[in-house]
Amino acid sequence: MTYFIDLLIVGLSIGMVYALIAIGISLIYSGLDIVHFAHGEIYMVGAFIGLVLFNTVGLPYPLAILGSMILTGLLGVFIERVFYRRLTARGGGYTVAGLGMIISGFGMSIVLQNAAYLIWGAKPLPFLVRFGMPVEIGSIALPASYLWIVVAALFLMTVLHLFLTRTPLGLAVRAVAHNKEIASLMGINVPLMISVIFGIACALGAAAGVLIGPINYVSVLMGTAILIKAFAAAVIGGFGNLPGAILGGLIVGITESLGAGYLSGSYKDIYPFILMIAVLMFRPAGLFGTIAKMKA
Amino acid sequence: MLRVENATGGYGSVQILNGANLSVERGQIATLLGGNGTGKSTLLKIISGLMKPWSGTITFDGQRIDGMRSDSIVRLGLVQVTQGKEAFPGMTVEENLRLGAFVRHDRAVVARGLERAFEYFPILKTKRRQLAATLSGGQLQMLCIARGLMSEPKMMLLDEPSAALAPQVVLDIFRIISRICRDGMTLLMVEQNVRMALLLASYGYVIKDGVIKIEGPADALMKDVNVKLSYLGGTVAEQEKQLNLNH
Repeated sequence: MTYFIDLLIVGLSIGMVYALIAIGISLIYSGLDIVHFAHGEIYMVGAFIGLVLFNTVGLPYPLAILGSMILTGLLGVFIERVFYRRLTARGGGYTVAGLGMIISGFGMSIVLQNAAYLIWGAKPLPFLVRFGMPVEIGSIALPASYLWIVVAALFLMTVLHLFLTRTPLGLAVRAVAHNKEIASLMGINVPLMISVIFGIACALGAAAGVLIGPINYVSVLMGTAILIKAFAAAVIGGFGNLPGAILGGLIVGITESLGAGYLSGSYKDIYPFILMIAVLMFRPAGLFGTIAKMKA
Repeated sequence: MLRVENATGGYGSVQILNGANLSVERGQIATLLGGNGTGKSTLLKIISGLMKPWSGTITFDGQRIDGMRSDSIVRLGLVQVTQGKEAFPGMTVEENLRLGAFVRHDRAVVARGLERAFEYFPILKTKRRQLAATLSGGQLQMLCIARGLMSEPKMMLLDEPSAALAPQVVLDIFRIISRICRDGMTLLMVEQNVRMALLLASYGYVIKDGVIKIEGPADALMKDVNVKLSYLGGTVAEQEKQLNLNH
């Protein structure tokens, strides 16, 4: 039983990380109508920036998360303004971005990987944070690093939820996700809001990177595998749906962890995809697919 | 207050507007009549900034607005009220209304706007926490008009407020529109419902093939409505049938 709960906690915390990235992918999808294939690299760059802020600058861990979110968010806005907008703005606005957008997403992921390789090198770097003693609840000892992930991710999700439902800017983001023309008739500056959406999505990806750093190493290639997992999470939850992305992330994390613990550790990357295929077979629009049409 | 001169425009290489002229004075209700495919929606989109005109000038409140982005035009005080189906279905009534006041950052203005919206449309108050997706067609149209009022505009463009609504509901909505105008709003209303529109408006324009074919005071247009109706697409008899629905 303890073994099961241990696996559950590991799965839950990794799932939170997937969820944060999946939320970003879903936000970008609903706001910009594009699937962002460089999002794994945003997560990787975010982890490195967090590491620099923590090790070199000497910020405390929570501030390193926040700082990395801000800087990576700005990097995202820069990437969207300078590179993606040229494609999305042409021919029918953001809706008809087409294959060019997918290719440029992959291109951006290669550029970011190589930039990170030149700056930080190929060797995985340790992210040493002292979290203190494991937290004991009854007979179970929770490693503080995992607890940190869950608490921080839940905090960020709550902030995002409050932002989207309680602030005028958040309402505007949802309006843009639903219909850009009607949003502009509300007096919303749609191009600016697109940047805001992209920046928020990248900031969440960065937070995921800094959060997972202390558990894994920080390395140039960490983004490739996680993108596919987060993608699976988004698909399972219903693409473009934010609660779905969170649920999907947790399902992927827990499936992976239980599968690795009880079946075989060497196939742990396969289990979530088997689940994804099953979901797509029986509910092609994802678990939250029925309301996915409303977006955000 | 609003003046459109020689506006042309269209989609891709297809020209829809062939030089439309139109002007609305402060405090006036003008109506733009026309059948399907005559260019009235295109003209509306060009005024509200959703489409860029190919040529021509549009001035609002003494300022050139042709080619401006629609959100900037909203900030100047010219708001397009969408058809009811264009409410945000995944948001509550109140969230929809708050979005209407997006350009106004003053909380007092937003609160005042909500109060005014609920005064014009009491039904919205009882449903303020419900998703817009649960409203009826008439209620959605009311929501869109109320949403347009939220930014306290100087002028509103109404896009077929009677579209796809039951006659009784149309009457209710037109009654409220006339009240809004008595309270000092300037209006340009695009309509297919000729008689209702001419009853409410003081001046009318009839558009066909992308140009204004007829214009004049509403009562004058009303007098020889049968002649004018032939411009509204379809036959006079068909239009009459449509009108009879509204008695």
